[in-house]
Amino acid sequence: MTSITMNRIKNKKASDLIFDAFVFGLCIIIFFVIAYPLYFIVIASVSDPTLVSTGKVFLFPQGFSFFGYEEIFKDARIWIGYRNTLFYAVVGTFINLLFTLPAAYVLSRQEFRARRFLMFFFVFTMFFNGGLIPTYLLMKDLSLIDTPWVFIFNPLTVNVFNLIITRTFFESNIPNEMYEAATIDGCSHFKFFSKIVLPLSKAVISVIGLYYLVWHWNDFFTGLIYIRNYDLQPLQIVLRDILLSNQVFAEGAGSGGTGGGYAQRYADQIKYGVIIVSSLPILILYPFIQKYFEKGVLIGSVKG
Amino acid sequence: MKKLINVFLLSALMILLLAACSNDEASKEKQETEDGKVVLSGLITKHPLTKDLADMEWLQEVEDRAGVEIKWEEVTADWDQKKGAMLAGGDIPDILIGPNVITDADFAKFTGLFEDLAPLIEDHGPNIQAMFEQQPDTKVLATQDDGAIFGLPKYQRFWPQTATMQFINKQWLDNLGLEVPTNWDELFEVLMAFKEEDANGNGDPNDEIPMDFSPVGTGGFGFFQPSVLLGSTGITITGGGGQGYFLEDGEVKNFFVDERYKEVVAFLNKLYSNGLINQEVFTQDYTKYQSVARGSGKDATVGYTYGWESMDRFGLNVSDQYVSFAPMKKSADYNGEISWSYDYNSLNYGVNMVALSSGASDKEAAMKFINELYNPEVSLQVLFGSLGPNIEKADDGSYKILPPKDEEMDPGTWKWTSTWADNGPMFISDELQVELGTDMQAVGAQQEPFDKAFETLDKENDVFPGMFLKYSDADNNQMSLINTDFMNLAMAKFSEWVTEGGIEEQWGGYVKEVEAIGLQTNLDIIQGYYDDYKSNH
Amino acid sequence: MAVSEMNSSLSEQKSKSTYKKPNIFNTFKRDHQLWIMILPAIICVIIFNYIPMYGIQLAFREYDFTAGLTGGEWVGLQYFEQFIKSHMFTDLIRNTLVISITTIVVGFPAPIILALLVNQIRWKRGKRILQTTVYLPHFISIVVLVGLLNVLLSPNTGLIGLLIAKMGFEGTNLLASTTAFVPVYVLSDIWQHVGWNSIIYLAALSSVDPQLYDAAKIDGANRWQIIRNVEIPAIIPTIIILLILNMGTVISTGFEKIFLMQNSLNLPISEVIETYVYKIGIISNQFSYAAAIGLFNTLINFTLLVIVNSIAKRVAKISLW
Repeated sequence: MTSITMNRIKNKKASDLIFDAFVFGLCIIIFFVIAYPLYFIVIASVSDPTLVSTGKVFLFPQGFSFFGYEEIFKDARIWIGYRNTLFYAVVGTFINLLFTLPAAYVLSRQEFRARRFLMFFFVFTMFFNGGLIPTYLLMKDLSLIDTPWVFIFNPLTVNVFNLIITRTFFESNIPNEMYEAATIDGCSHFKFFSKIVLPLSKAVISVIGLYYLVWHWNDFFTGLIYIRNYDLQPLQIVLRDILLSNQVFAEGAGSGGTGGGYAQRYADQIKYGVIIVSSLPILILYPFIQKYFEKGVLIGSVKG
Repeated sequence: MKKLINVFLLSALMILLLAACSNDEASKEKQETEDGKVVLSGLITKHPLTKDLADMEWLQEVEDRAGVEIKWEEVTADWDQKKGAMLAGGDIPDILIGPNVITDADFAKFTGLFEDLAPLIEDHGPNIQAMFEQQPDTKVLATQDDGAIFGLPKYQRFWPQTATMQFINKQWLDNLGLEVPTNWDELFEVLMAFKEEDANGNGDPNDEIPMDFSPVGTGGFGFFQPSVLLGSTGITITGGGGQGYFLEDGEVKNFFVDERYKEVVAFLNKLYSNGLINQEVFTQDYTKYQSVARGSGKDATVGYTYGWESMDRFGLNVSDQYVSFAPMKKSADYNGEISWSYDYNSLNYGVNMVALSSGASDKEAAMKFINELYNPEVSLQVLFGSLGPNIEKADDGSYKILPPKDEEMDPGTWKWTSTWADNGPMFISDELQVELGTDMQAVGAQQEPFDKAFETLDKENDVFPGMFLKYSDADNNQMSLINTDFMNLAMAKFSEWVTEGGIEEQWGGYVKEVEAIGLQTNLDIIQGYYDDYKSNH
Repeated sequence: MAVSEMNSSLSEQKSKSTYKKPNIFNTFKRDHQLWIMILPAIICVIIFNYIPMYGIQLAFREYDFTAGLTGGEWVGLQYFEQFIKSHMFTDLIRNTLVISITTIVVGFPAPIILALLVNQIRWKRGKRILQTTVYLPHFISIVVLVGLLNVLLSPNTGLIGLLIAKMGFEGTNLLASTTAFVPVYVLSDIWQHVGWNSIIYLAALSSVDPQLYDAAKIDGANRWQIIRNVEIPAIIPTIIILLILNMGTVISTGFEKIFLMQNSLNLPISEVIETYVYKIGIISNQFSYAAAIGLFNTLINFTLLVIVNSIAKRVAKISLW
């Protein structure tokens, strides 16, 4: 396959050259449009916030200091937050996939008679829900409140959006002939699913896994509503508290204090720092997942 | 393989069931520690700066004296969202503390969830009874229509009569040979000069922002906003204006449909269209509002603006350039009253600072603890911090608020870090001899021009006693629905008129629309409650 | 489909002599493995999604704490009427539709185009760098995003604000105008999510059989024709499914971002159903009214989904169920 591609590159047509130049130019523009604000966040996290908000910071940090990061990391709670979030995200994503992938496979089987009904059954929950109060009461009855389990078992344990995406992928990428061939060899659904479907679906599994993982990572609401013991709080809640404790009198000092100047000055630096601290671990992960959707990797590997 | 997957799926189910069945429901029986203290659960909505409750010396002493040990849940943010689920789930701790931690509307909606404290105060609340006697207003604040007491108020005594002071850059005035303005026309002249000339003397005539005010929200007016100029026309607003309700000669009115409001908006439009108001005034956030006024180096940026206190507003470098000054008249020949935003009540009183669950395991013990908080000496520590590190008690029984231990820190931040501060229940008795910290002294000094304006104020008939009125659940619902629609229209129109003008042409239609939304219904409801309040007062 | 069904039922039911039309019951034995595989998901959804649904009736009842969620007085459609007759109703619907439809029309194709574009890059390193960069903004919290907008769009001090002024729109404050609100909202949304949303398309593109590419090249197809004839068909099922799901959110906009971007100048265009519900529901505890508005939304969204889904089924033979 690579040899053919190489040949083709050598025999490029003029139109293809223009096309490539166009693609390249467009990509450069997209890159800078998206990258600059990101770069801005990074320099803002080490610049004097007064200079940032008055528009003195464009290309290089001004009034350089690590005060924001010091403030974030001197808080011991942040490590507990990291630990908890890591646990919730890893175990949670595992359970999510454990529930979602087999279900998506089943729903992709054309011969499964309950398929249409069950799809409707799932999609219905994307729209209709009882609201916060009955869900809270349910969690209370199940004694999930104030336990780590509430992060793992909740109304989004089976995320129907992800379920649909996975099913669509299975439908369009696992040819039915494959299953028929497998059954002739005496293959059960279980075996077919684990030996053939899963290895063929690394791309969608990594995407869905990433979706779930990032959801857990950013989940702030569950901690807010269902957790009262601070030792169980996830990173997002901890970071928010650190941020708030520096944003003190945002509503106006009239709420009683006269201070503010001292802490307020650094609130923005911390705000930008928090973004970097909270998302860095998940950013590092991306390149590892990325390789699963390189062009042609999958089919090639299965056939090879 | 088949077995493996079966085991897998089964284990998934098991986890689900296990998680569902692990039962650790806390019993509501009385619990005691080994040394005989009653164990209670508590929740406080504290300020994010405030340190752990376990580190507050005064609190440990109070718990010891009341014979209780309280397991605290410390909430610093998003209490509103958390509260809804908690109350609806009936899942509350024994004691709840914080500013309006449970609102009157909540008490009405979640009947039976909270304990009526009135009988408990009779038997176990001497300090609270003392507060009710010395400051009868606190009793009004505490008591519901039917005489029940669900939440107890605070009284913190030392706070000023207004939160919003106006400041002008005296150095700029001196540079340009101008006087502090006493009416709107003079203010206009001064601001024009600030704009046209190089008021701060740094060689650039264009880096001065003549006037700036705090970002105006979508739900009504607040502190540090130009709604205070209504005072120039004789209207006394409270809390910066809020949703516009005010009192005049005992009649409840709303300034959003008042001709005098129209004058203020027209004046602001005149300033804005002449480029005298910061162009970003409606879009900046509070942080930017604060940063901009801190100037750069020794050069101030803003001429005329509003704030809580000059050091807080302008920072170390330029704050000495500014002076607070008295409310202006709307024109030189105006002879009517002049007023300002009167905030004494909202700054010094607070409602529902503490509530007790009706499911509390030992209500007497809880009440003893609450009562301790209202002991005058304890209350002072609730507000300023523990005796020793934060407060010094002299031999003659007087108190001195100590400066921050950390020299970098300002007294306000120090207070919020050390203790519950304004978020706690307290009664600062007028009998206590207290020497305040430098921050509060500065506020006091800068308040003088405003104190004079309030000397002639008829507090009985011209100050809207918003927080003293206790609405029923139904009235409350109706009013807040109307107010939501009303504010959507009024605040959008306010900013449109200030930036683009057009108030003259649109005023008639606007007033009609406000009427259609149902403003009169609200005015009638409030007037009814006000009259009741008045006759009982 | 029919053939495959026959095949699979043949392979498992060879011994059966009489042919019965397959239905849920008589295929249960055959499909019991499938049932086992989907059971955990079903149980989970029943427990966590269906059981709390009794709360929907709150929209038709007064909320009464002592009587519980289901015990309040039945008021029927009172709260729906209240909403429809409310002063804000037409404004809310109009604003909500303008924002969400613009988001779909402009925002939906963006990640598809990006994915196709990224797929054309041959320089592997560059491709990875671009891919990672466009994916990053997704992790910025909304509070920071709006803060960033405030800083960059500020007409006096922000980079974009100054650029706009240079381009001859002196004195325009992008944050303050009713005309700029929707573009700013939608474009910043695309900026933030285009990379993240393109991931799913990239995954779908990765599964295109390389032989198809080679075949197309041998046929002399140029790059554009490859995109049209090989790559787009490969992602069409995903596109349609996502489009259907998007249509089911026509009357929902995000809450937090709009709420944070709101100021009194853009309020006439920025007040949407969700910010309104927040103002009356959370702040003033009107559980029933908020529930009724929520249900009203849901019904419209769901109806739209069903309609779009049936169109897709007829036209493209792709359906959610």
